[in-house]
Amino acid sequence: MSQHGKKNVNEFDVIIIGGGITGAGTARDCALRGLDVLLIERNDIATGATGRNHGLLHSGARYAVTDQESAQECIRENMILRKVARHCVEETDGLFITLPEDDLAYQEKFAQACRSAGIEAEIIDPKEAIRMEPSVNPSIIGAVKVPDGSVDPFRLTSANITDAKLHGAKIMVYSELTGFIKDGNTVKGVRVHSHITGEDLEFYAPVTVNAGGIWGHRIAEMAGVTINMFPAKGALLIFGHRVNNVVLNRCRKPANADILVPGDTVCVIGTTSSHIPFDEVDNMKVTPDEVDLLLTEGAKLAPSLATTRILRAYAGVRPLVSADDDPSGRNISRGIVLLDHETRDGIKGFISITGGKLMTYRLMAEWTADAVCRKLGVDRKCQTMDIPLPGSKNEDIEVISKKIWGSAGTIRKATAGRHGDLTSRIPAGNRYDTSLVCECEEVSVGEVRYAMEELDVHNLVDLRRRTRVGMGTCQGELCACRAAGLISQAGNCAREGKKDLKHFLNERWKGIYPVGWGDALRESEYSQWIYTGVCGLEN
Amino acid sequence: MKFDSIIIGGGLSGLVCGLRLQKAGRKCAIISSGQSAMHFSSGYFDFLDRTPDGKTAKDLKEALGNLPEEHPYSKIGKERLTGYMGSVKEFFSGCGIKLGGDPFSNGYRITPTGNFKPTWLSLEDFSLLENESVPWKKVLIANIEGFLDFNTSFIAESLESRGTACRTSVIDIEEMQRLRRNPSEMRSANIARVLDRQECADKAVSQIKQQLQDEEAVLLPAVFGLRTPEVKDRLTKAIGREVFFVATMPPSVPGIRTQMRLKEEFEASGGVFLAGDTALSPELAGSRVMSIGTVNFGDIRLEADSYVLATGSFFSKGLSATPERIVENIFGLDIISDTQRERWYDTDFFNRQNYISYGIRTDSRMRCIKDGSTVENLYAAGSVLGGSNPLYEGSGAGTAIFTAMYVADSILSSVNTTL
Repeated sequence: MSQHGKKNVNEFDVIIIGGGITGAGTARDCALRGLDVLLIERNDIATGATGRNHGLLHSGARYAVTDQESAQECIRENMILRKVARHCVEETDGLFITLPEDDLAYQEKFAQACRSAGIEAEIIDPKEAIRMEPSVNPSIIGAVKVPDGSVDPFRLTSANITDAKLHGAKIMVYSELTGFIKDGNTVKGVRVHSHITGEDLEFYAPVTVNAGGIWGHRIAEMAGVTINMFPAKGALLIFGHRVNNVVLNRCRKPANADILVPGDTVCVIGTTSSHIPFDEVDNMKVTPDEVDLLLTEGAKLAPSLATTRILRAYAGVRPLVSADDDPSGRNISRGIVLLDHETRDGIKGFISITGGKLMTYRLMAEWTADAVCRKLGVDRKCQTMDIPLPGSKNEDIEVISKKIWGSAGTIRKATAGRHGDLTSRIPAGNRYDTSLVCECEEVSVGEVRYAMEELDVHNLVDLRRRTRVGMGTCQGELCACRAAGLISQAGNCAREGKKDLKHFLNERWKGIYPVGWGDALRESEYSQWIYTGVCGLEN
Repeated sequence: MKFDSIIIGGGLSGLVCGLRLQKAGRKCAIISSGQSAMHFSSGYFDFLDRTPDGKTAKDLKEALGNLPEEHPYSKIGKERLTGYMGSVKEFFSGCGIKLGGDPFSNGYRITPTGNFKPTWLSLEDFSLLENESVPWKKVLIANIEGFLDFNTSFIAESLESRGTACRTSVIDIEEMQRLRRNPSEMRSANIARVLDRQECADKAVSQIKQQLQDEEAVLLPAVFGLRTPEVKDRLTKAIGREVFFVATMPPSVPGIRTQMRLKEEFEASGGVFLAGDTALSPELAGSRVMSIGTVNFGDIRLEADSYVLATGSFFSKGLSATPERIVENIFGLDIISDTQRERWYDTDFFNRQNYISYGIRTDSRMRCIKDGSTVENLYAAGSVLGGSNPLYEGSGAGTAIFTAMYVADSILSSVNTTL
């Protein structure tokens, strides 16, 4: 399929750096257009900002007043994702609520701005809003209904990767960019270190795409160009059950902790926004002040949050491109930034795609793939607005799971929910495969095996992203050990398995100790007794 | 309802305290909510693996000299504590539980992940290793088919790194079918119930015999003998090789079995065990507890001369944490803890966690303190106590057992002096 008469296995049409949703989407788009694609990711897929946000399927309403262009992009993409990624999307709708402390006059301005961006926004009676979402603060004085929803970013990224692979793309995770191969002012390829095999490799392509999110700043530096990125940290809290079924937002200018999104069995409140130095982007900590702020503000949206168990705290970094000196990072446009470094910096064969948001990943990928095609001198149209992702291709989940298993038990539904029509590829033939690894999230041995064999799972943290193992209320207390056993059996290396188990437990702990009280502390004490006491694992 | 002593908490500490008091002629009630650390027992009792300064405890008597003043062992006092240690095996055998090992020194156990960890005494059917080397050249490690809470490869890897050849195998018994039908049923206690049936145990034995080659020992998950006593000896005899049990992930079959035996012994000696109940709304007058309520008893109050708080720490709900502070849940007692939340945790999961050392403050006789004053007839035992980090030190069971004995003796001696 090569556009340039491929000679060697290490030659491609395009190399994409970054396995977040932007890179994954770009890889799929390019592969669908028949290009020979290599994607490299230094970690697992969806480890950066992609996996560290609300999982909100924005209607665009949030941006309607301040940024009409972003709002219009959002609603268009929202409607597309409902079609092409429906196994990743939950159509919950959203409410923008006005509290007594807010200015009710803003509501009308907001609704009008939504409508002019093409977003259906309906001002409804607060009483009706309470009927629609009983967990909402009962003292609301205004409510606007909008087509918000929720989206599972791990599932979405995984589906894009799967389809890219089905169309011939080569995906290399745990493969870190160590440098560019340049010929004068032309980027010819990349040097890559594989953290799995330990090899140092070289790959060549006429076009290389930097889709590194916040890390794109450094990637660009390595290629000799400067992008002024702005690391704005946003902290979020996950609650142990689904308090709300409708997305709740505050109807006011965007501020801290004013969105509560239901997703799967949990709900998420966020975010804060603060400037952090670049050396913190790989190791973000959620501070007690951030936790307290999220809780206080969250309880204003849904008062029962104050007494709901918090599962964990986490933070992501918005990959925004600096436009001015605003210290909060909020007024910088979330607009898409596509940089052709040939015209901008005189560096040929190199493109950066940044800015944007989870919601607009498909559009970002489309623009990028367009630019890649222009550079390669080929004329292929984007098809991602019409072709459903693997997992979203046919009937609804009930039908799928009935077809495969004859009946739709809850476990089967949970599995089918995660993998959509690809569920048929999960081994369920014998009783061993149907044994449960994770009781909270109902993950079977077969699903774990499928993830290892077909979804590039190398360790427990990867597995969590693909299957939700360890994401439930017990936070991996026992399922971590079970899954570690399965992974080490498959890889035939128990020593690595134990190391992996320790790494996984520490990853979880990072999110738990900032909210370490109540039931979270109870579960942690139990986990610590089991793993350091009974098992005797230590550093 | 009137008792001589009411013990709140039916775990190791509450049961030991109740048994000691009941056997000394006191009429006792134990209120048990059912959440006990015994359910994640390792199959062994730990006394002190290392002192708070991080030194491995070899000679246990000597190590006691290096403990801080607020440590529960220090409150018991070295002389009294070593006396208790000398009689501990006798105490438990009097309750139908055979402990193995030397009460004055540590041995080693093999953990579910194959680690070798210092420990003190072994519960029935478990064996202590003298040191960190493996006593066998060749072993067979067998698991139950489909049982995910026991990982043969983890144990094999560890033993092989110590020079022992390992083979792994699975035992497949058709009576497990019913459990497998519901995928969440394949857990240790359910498997143990099946294996308690003689014909199922026999099938397991015959499969193991077929699988054995020239191995000297068979390592098995501790899912045998929930109700059957001394199952290891019987298996060893039937198989003809040494059988060595390794603990599984929770629930712990040996832990549940030990707790059941203690409870049965407590009831057999006349104690009242209120299972599935939770103590609440204590009534205090001056510096004394007058009565206590429970969820199941409703308006009926329970009264006693003395009360023992053996409610455990966070997991067992003796303690709880709010974002601001650590709380003792029934009486609101004075707590030893750090006030700043950041101090509660280490950012590394496997490092020493301060919050585990938090617990209630007591006087030298283990009487509780509320708002700065001693509550004269309220004692505390086990992991609800502050002043030590039982997870870091490896002192959980020892603290539970010996503070319980000390509290029982404090109560008995105060009765004797007032008479």
